[in-house]
Formats: sequence, structure tokens, C-alpha cells
Amino acid sequence: MTGPRFGPLHGYRGIVLTQAWAGSYATQILGMLGAEIIQVEFHGRPDSWRGAYDRPIPDTVRDAPGASANQHTWNVNPNYNSVNLNKQCITLNLTHPDGVEIFKRLVPLADFVVENFAPRVIGNLGIDYDALRQIKPDIILCSLSAFGNNGPWRDVPGIGGTIEPISGMSALLGYEDGPPLNSGQMYPDAAAGLNGFAGIVTALMHREMTGEGQYIDLSMQEASLAFIGDAMLEERMTGNVRVRLGNRHMTFAPHGIYAAADGNWLALAAETEAQWAALSGIAGHEEWLRDARFGVNEARKANEDALDVEIGAWVAGEERDSLAEQLSQAGVMAAAVLDAHEVAADKALRDRGFIVEVEHPEAGVHPQSGVPVRFSDTRAKVERHAPLQGQHTQEVLERFLGVEEVEYQDLLKRGVTGAGPSN
Amino acid sequence: MNKSGALNGIRVIDLSTSVSGAWCARMLADFGADVALFEGPDGHPARHLAPFDDAGVSVIAEYVLTNRRSAIVDIEQPSGLDAMRLAAGRADVLVCSMLPGDMKSLGLDFTSLRGANPKLIVCSITPHGSTGARSEHPGNDLTTAALSGWASINGLADRPPLKPGGLQASYCAGTMAYGSIVSALLARRKQDPMPGQFIDISELEVMASTFAPALLNSQYQGEPQARKAKIDMSTGPVPVRDGHFALTISRPHFWRDAMNVLGLDDLAEDPRWATSWYRREHADEYVDRAQAKLADWNKMDLFDTLAALRVIAGPVLETNELADNVHLRARNFFRSPDTGGPEYPGPAFKMGETPAQLVRRAPRPGEHSGRVLREFAGLEDSVIDALLASGAAR
Repeated sequence: MTGPRFGPLHGYRGIVLTQAWAGSYATQILGMLGAEIIQVEFHGRPDSWRGAYDRPIPDTVRDAPGASANQHTWNVNPNYNSVNLNKQCITLNLTHPDGVEIFKRLVPLADFVVENFAPRVIGNLGIDYDALRQIKPDIILCSLSAFGNNGPWRDVPGIGGTIEPISGMSALLGYEDGPPLNSGQMYPDAAAGLNGFAGIVTALMHREMTGEGQYIDLSMQEASLAFIGDAMLEERMTGNVRVRLGNRHMTFAPHGIYAAADGNWLALAAETEAQWAALSGIAGHEEWLRDARFGVNEARKANEDALDVEIGAWVAGEERDSLAEQLSQAGVMAAAVLDAHEVAADKALRDRGFIVEVEHPEAGVHPQSGVPVRFSDTRAKVERHAPLQGQHTQEVLERFLGVEEVEYQDLLKRGVTGAGPSN
Repeated sequence: MNKSGALNGIRVIDLSTSVSGAWCARMLADFGADVALFEGPDGHPARHLAPFDDAGVSVIAEYVLTNRRSAIVDIEQPSGLDAMRLAAGRADVLVCSMLPGDMKSLGLDFTSLRGANPKLIVCSITPHGSTGARSEHPGNDLTTAALSGWASINGLADRPPLKPGGLQASYCAGTMAYGSIVSALLARRKQDPMPGQFIDISELEVMASTFAPALLNSQYQGEPQARKAKIDMSTGPVPVRDGHFALTISRPHFWRDAMNVLGLDDLAEDPRWATSWYRREHADEYVDRAQAKLADWNKMDLFDTLAALRVIAGPVLETNELADNVHLRARNFFRSPDTGGPEYPGPAFKMGETPAQLVRRAPRPGEHSGRVLREFAGLEDSVIDALLASGAAR
């Protein structure tokens, strides 16, 4: 019964019910750090990030290098496949008594359980914290939900797209002269996922010290609010309600994203007078240093509109990548605004091993975001593609519970497990 | 400092000079580690970040430097550097955020730190990581938003790309660093003698990790995800009578119930509208009608009506509204430090047995220099006095 042999968390095992983004991301990080992650997907109520079963598959996915001729919509969803690396997937129908029974037989083999159903669901399924503790007294259960496990909004559902506004994040994202915006992809899930990872390893530490498990209640609203906590504390300390700043900074100027040649964009900022001097020199505008409006940061901040006009006029004629490189070499904060394809192709990210080519049996070979940390001794890594739906059901049930072929076929036939549409 | 913390007994040196490093150290302290901030004569750089309260105290510093003691130690001076090295020789964890070249020139590279303390875990949190072509480039939340892809999808197509609001790369990287350090502590416990290691966190890579779905979507679609041409109810908050409201619908019953609430029965009952991909492809057939109805609602009335039906809904709230939020108040989300101070938000997650503590607000610079040098560096009082007299410590 051996799991991964790498990473600081090898030897730990999670039997997890995570889905969509936040929970799946939390458990993907644990898996990248070497924990064995058995993801239990609800047969008959699939992970929403596998998408609708009747969704059309784009030609670009059908024709991808290494793509299978026999693709299933639920196995070729990029959302799912981007946040479930290093996991094994089993499916269980948790509305079927035998499905719940199998889940409960797996729990004693787990160090932690993670789920991100609406809070009432695990109680309805008979697998809430008290029930799991009956099975394994030192179990760690982490629940990620929209609003947490108590309070008047406990049973209100939410997704990143509604948590972003109701946590205060949207009010801070946007142009100075424009309305509040949501991020390009539901960012609160990512913030919650990172915190879920942090909470679970903290609970593992406590268990190592004391032998005690515990329950972790993670509200996406609260995790998101903690990540704009300085704006929240500002209101408490000063009464000021922070507004949208576009790309500007509360302290430093210049600090913006400017149009460069050829329709590209460049981000640049100066946080010190030395950076400002270097920037002015590279721009060929040493007179900025003598201009009373721009001489010191305080003046630049007070005259930021005029400053942005000057910098915008200069950057507009420059080639993005060479200017970013020149400024960076001179110690100025500067970066090309990369689109998703440019991030995937970025040489520095590939050289460090962050962007990795992952071969998926149905979707083919694609670059993906990999491990966001390097350990010198206990290396973390991407070892597995995101699992096909139910790919490991038979193997896991045999390995952990001794379920044999005949019994497995019976479970399939009775709809306790399976892949794809359940009817 | 924290008697019931999961990290009780873990001694941490916070040598950070960034918000990300300070946030990582705050989490370590919140969960029970004994954290000492070693700040330079000018104070931690977060202390100079706006906004400030009436007393000139940085709000950001108050948020990220809580729960630890502070010593002013000038590591540019040899005796100050020696004191810091002595402390590193006795610590479990060192959090730093200097660029790798600066660490090396101070003799604080991992090899030499490990030589003096084999069990030390060193976590470096820098804009681009400790190796690679960009390792010596400075960076911040703006440049990280640019390079990670996030700016390219935030905002509107006919306007500039937008960074996320606030200090997202800093909090994300700080949290990832925290979890990585605890993971290394878990690994360390399993060996005898306990080995430390070096943890290399790149703020860029953490943000690019949070960008993973958009990156792979773009690969599968064959073209990079773009900023939206316009914001409508399928993509973000839209105007209501007293503000903005996001009605970003996912499951079929959310659609049916929401359209009924808005009085759009034909849209509610037609089964074709139940799937999100169909709605996306036919957005122009419903968006204007639904938004016209939305404009007649107050945001919290609409939220309460939809919440009763268990439909997802997102009123745009500002910080003053969140401070009065009935749900957050019921969950005791706001609390003052045990030793007094303003109401803080948080923590990000609630642990049943080892909850995050908020013992004290940020220390004044050098508030605990003598005690930190005694307890962390193990120095005699006479040595401490000499350091203070020379200005290498304050």
C-alpha cells in the first residue's frame, strides 16, 4: 500500500471529495508535495469542472498532439484537468447506501478528508465530522464552502463569481473611473485553495504533536477577505473605504501598465528614487529628474496623471520585451504583460521546471502550470496527469479494500460506481 | 507566544523585507510559532507603505507584522550580521525575501546557513525565485500580475490589462510559503537527526499556479483567453439600483429560480436555457432583458430573496458594508488583538483545535531588541549593550 515516494508530505494520504476549483486546487498542491490523493467523485453528480456531458468538444482538443480518437467531454475539460494533477479518481454514488459504505471503509486509511460541498450535504450523506470521527478518531476534515459552516448565510450557495463581489474583492478590482469588476477567472477559489492547503498541513502538524485530529471550517468569503485584509483593516483603523486604483499603487509612482509598440503591453514601476533615476535615463528623459512634478516619489504621486501621460508617450514607441529586459537589468520593476500562451511558452518558467508538458490519455500533450515551490531535499513534482473519471476505481478498491473483479462488476452494474452519464 | 498552537516550540527568524515574507511569518506566528522580526534601521519596508492612520502608522504593516517581537539589527554592519547569524544557528525556520545575489553577498546563502545549523529550514520568497534568468530582477504585485497571465485576462478588451486588486501575489505567495514550511517541518520530524532544507518560492510561479485553469483553457481552445469586450451579467457585476450585483449562474435550478424572481417566466421555463454553454452562446437573447429587471432591485433585497431560494448571488460590498455584515459578525470574523488594538479581519480559515491566535498588533521597530538578542541569538547582556551602543542594534 505505497503511495508517492517524493516530496515532504509523502506517507500521508487524503481521501477527498473535492470538486470544482478551490478544494481541488488545495488537494492538488498536497499531491504535488507527495501526499497520496484519492479523489472520490460523486457518481451521478459529477464534478462541475468536468462540464456538462453534452457540451461540444472543440476541434482544437480533438486535433491536439497525442489526443485520443475516443474523447469523452468529462475527461477533456481544461478546468478539471488543470487542478487535479497527481490524483487518483474513483467514483462512488453517495446517494446509494453501498457507495457511502465503501467511502466509510476508506476513511480509516486516510490522514485527512477534504470536501467542498454546500455545508448541509455531508450531514445529509451521513459523513460529517462527527460521523467520520466515529470511524477514525484522529481524522482531519477540511470543509471549504462559500460562507462557512455556521452563521445566517451558511446554506447560501456560492461560487468564485459571487464570492468575489460579496467578499469585497470586486470593489477593489477595476479602472479608477470604472465599475467594480470580477477577475478574468474566479480568483477567490484560488485564494481559498491555497488556504485550504495551509490549514491541512497545520492540522497534520498538530496531529503529529498530539495525536488529535480536527475540523477545519474554511469560508471562501473569509479567505478572500483575508487577502484584502489590509483594505478591511484600513476601514477599521481610519474609516476610509478604499476605492479602485486601476494599476496604481497607494504609495509609489509610476506604477502602471502602458501600451507598447505592436499592440503589446508593458508593466513598470519605480519604488525607489534609484529606480526612477534609472528609468528616466533609459527613457532618455533625464529632465524628468529635474522636473518639480516628478523629482521625488511624493511629487510623482501627486502628479500621477501627468506622469502617466509622459511615460505612456515614451513606452508607446518601444518594443515590449527588449524594454522590459533593459529596465529589469537596470534594477527597475518592469515586465511584459504576457497572455496565456506566452506564459505557457515562457523560457524562464520552463527552465525552472514550473511549466511542464503533461500527457493526458484523452486530451493529448499540453503545457500546464506545475509546482509553485522548490524544495532542495524533498522535491515536489508533477507525477500524474489529471485522472480520467473513475480511472482508478477498480485499482483503489482492490488495493485498499480487497474488492475483486466479480464484486467490482456488480458495483458497476448496480450503479454504485461508474463513469459518464449514470443512466 | 501562543500556548495552544500547532507550531508551538518552533522558533522563526523573520528576515523578510516584503509583504509576502511578512505574511508568511504572520501565519507561522498565528499558529503558535515564536517569531522574531529582524528589521533594519529603517524598519521593515511595509512600515513605509500607505495608507497610514492619524498617528502615521502603516495599515499594511499593522496587518502583516502582528504577533511577533521586533529587534532592529543592522545586518550591513559586521557585528549585527554576526548576531543575526547566531540567531539563525539556533532557529528552526528563517524567512527571507532578499534577492539571491544580496543573500550571497551577505554570506547568508543556504549552504553556509546549513553549515552552522543543519536543522534550519530557510524559505526564500522572491519575485521570480532564487534561480533562473529573472532571479535578480526586482518585481512586485504589478509585474507578477503581468508575467503570470492574470493582467491579460483582467479588465476590458479596449482598455489596458489590469492587475488584481490589492496585494494578491504577496498574500498568495506568503500563504504558499507558509504551507511549504509546515510541510518541511513535517518531513523534518520523520528523520533523526532532523534535516533542514531550502525552500524556494517564486511569487510569479505562485500566481501562475493560480492562473492554471485559464492557461489550460487557452491551450484547449487554441487561442489565449482574452479580456472581455464588455461586462454583462454573464461575466461580472452589473448595475442595480444601489450599486452592483453579480448573478453569475451555474446550476440549472439557479437559472430557473433567478429568472422567476426577475419575472422572466419564459426564460425560466424553457429547458434549453438550463445549460451554461447554451446561455453563453445565446447571451444576447437574455442579457439585456434580465439586466433591465436587475436595475430595479436593491442589492441586499435581491440577495436575500435569492438566498432564501438557495440561488448563488453576489452583491458588490465595500469594506464599510463588510464591517457591518450580519453573517461575518455572527461568525466572529472580526476580532481585536488580545492585548488591544483595532478590529482585524480574519483568520482565513477556522481550525477547531488550534485556531489562529491574534495576540498582539505589530510591534514598534526594535520594541524587543534586547530580549530577542538574548533569547534568539543567545547573547550575554554585555554583548547586547555593546551592539546597542555601536548602533548595530537598536
